[in-house]
Amino acid sequence: MLIRCIRCEKLKLKHSILWLACLGIPVIPAIMGTFNYMGNLETLTPGWANLWTQETLFYANFFYAPLIGLCCAYLWRLEHRNHNWNTLMSAPVPAWAIILSKLAVILRTLILIQIWVGVLFLVSGKCIGVENRFPVETLGWLLRGTLAGAVIGALQLFLSMVIRSFALPIILALLGSIGSIYAAAKGIGLFFPYSLMMLGMNSNHAENMLEGQLAVFLASSVGMLLLFYLLSVLYLKKTDVKA
Amino acid sequence: MEIMIETKNLTKHYKNKTVVSELDMKVTKGSIYGFLGSNGAGKSTTMKMLLGLIRPAQGQIQIFGKPLQGKMRLEILKNTGSLIESPSYYGHLSGRENLEIICTLKNAPKREIDEVLKLVRMENQQHKKAGQYSLGMKQRLGLAAALLGHPRLLLLDEPTNGLDPSGIQEMRELICALPKRTGMTVLVSSHLLSEIDQMATHVGIIDQGHLIFQDSLAVLHEHSQSKLHLRTTDTAAALAELQRNHIPAEEKEGTIILRDTSDRTVTCAIRHLVYAGIGILRAEEIQMSLEDIFLKLTGKKVSL
Repeated sequence: MLIRCIRCEKLKLKHSILWLACLGIPVIPAIMGTFNYMGNLETLTPGWANLWTQETLFYANFFYAPLIGLCCAYLWRLEHRNHNWNTLMSAPVPAWAIILSKLAVILRTLILIQIWVGVLFLVSGKCIGVENRFPVETLGWLLRGTLAGAVIGALQLFLSMVIRSFALPIILALLGSIGSIYAAAKGIGLFFPYSLMMLGMNSNHAENMLEGQLAVFLASSVGMLLLFYLLSVLYLKKTDVKA
Repeated sequence: MEIMIETKNLTKHYKNKTVVSELDMKVTKGSIYGFLGSNGAGKSTTMKMLLGLIRPAQGQIQIFGKPLQGKMRLEILKNTGSLIESPSYYGHLSGRENLEIICTLKNAPKREIDEVLKLVRMENQQHKKAGQYSLGMKQRLGLAAALLGHPRLLLLDEPTNGLDPSGIQEMRELICALPKRTGMTVLVSSHLLSEIDQMATHVGIIDQGHLIFQDSLAVLHEHSQSKLHLRTTDTAAALAELQRNHIPAEEKEGTIILRDTSDRTVTCAIRHLVYAGIGILRAEEIQMSLEDIFLKLTGKKVSL
């Protein structure tokens, strides 16, 4: 059943140019970060670690959430338009499968974006001739970031499902991203969904931000992921369809 | 007779306003149930409740003898096709791709797509984007989607809305042919009595959320007695002649109206007039309008 739903979600994305945004948008923080790195070479210790801090600073704090928010908004806009809610909800599939299939599509997109961010990091570093050993731990950070990204994806899916507007949830994602810096500074970053990305990606920090806190990070991420997922399913089950 | 849909005491409120009130509906197997009512009478709301799209405030729904709840609901939906409100479609996908999505969701074999496309005569437009379809084509695409998976029950909400006359005719023929071809039961809503008259075997009339009539079409016809309008060369003489022969008639704006349209009375009346040398210009049977029937059933005037 779930496989069928996922197949449908993939079908719905046919002919869309969403991939262009997913490909294009991460290039911006990569370029910004690279220039920032080169401009601050007097204060930064040259090397991969600091290039990472500069690139992910922009990506995790400003670009990721709106980007995944855009993907989520697009997925739900397909249902909001042309009365598709009626068709979706009168199909013989349970609510949990509908939400999980959309989440699966977002997760797939997210993984591809994360790989792309990794590739951009490597390419930009090679381009400006960063030397010394490539930090293998960044792979772990990308993986942690993927989990954090899934939490934001689940939240954005919920928002875009409830809010019929296309732009509003994306604006909320942007505000959430900005708020994430504040939340992290206040020390409640691990419990604010939008902050998880910067913590997970270890952005703007050369040393591990989650030293000794990895378990909390994992528990918080998985917990919130489940919370947003269940919230979406519950909403779908309990609310009257407005097509 | 097997009951396909049965509702008991079905009620729905929207912000203190009761949209559907204590509705007891019964749809038998193999029938085409015409669900008649003016706009805003509660037809769409009822049909959405029958699909579980919105939840009733009160009352029970049984479809195929099973309650419309939880796992049973999915089981019921598997055997139900629907076309609710305006047709739904993914505009950036072709008609065929839209059907592929529904086909996958219903877990129906892919070859059925060709079958339903043929049935609604859309083979030639199947690769065009659905967003570029005319309303009639979207409506037919919706019907094709509803027919996927060989449903036992079909719910069609105003399927002829927005279609041109030939489209309406085509849709009617399609719907009428379904029970005979497949044993399907059809619930079709409309605000036009004439339309229901041409399609349905059974009729339910809903007015301000209340089901004010539910029976076979034949019984409705007893309610909707027609009149015969006669125009003659000499109205006054004609009226006198009919009265002399004890045929009840009245005159209105130069037209003679016969309330009794039984074959016997009509032959009698016309024969007497012809023998009296009065020329008959027009003899026209006038059906009672939906308004008239509403008036008769509810005793109050409704605006349509």
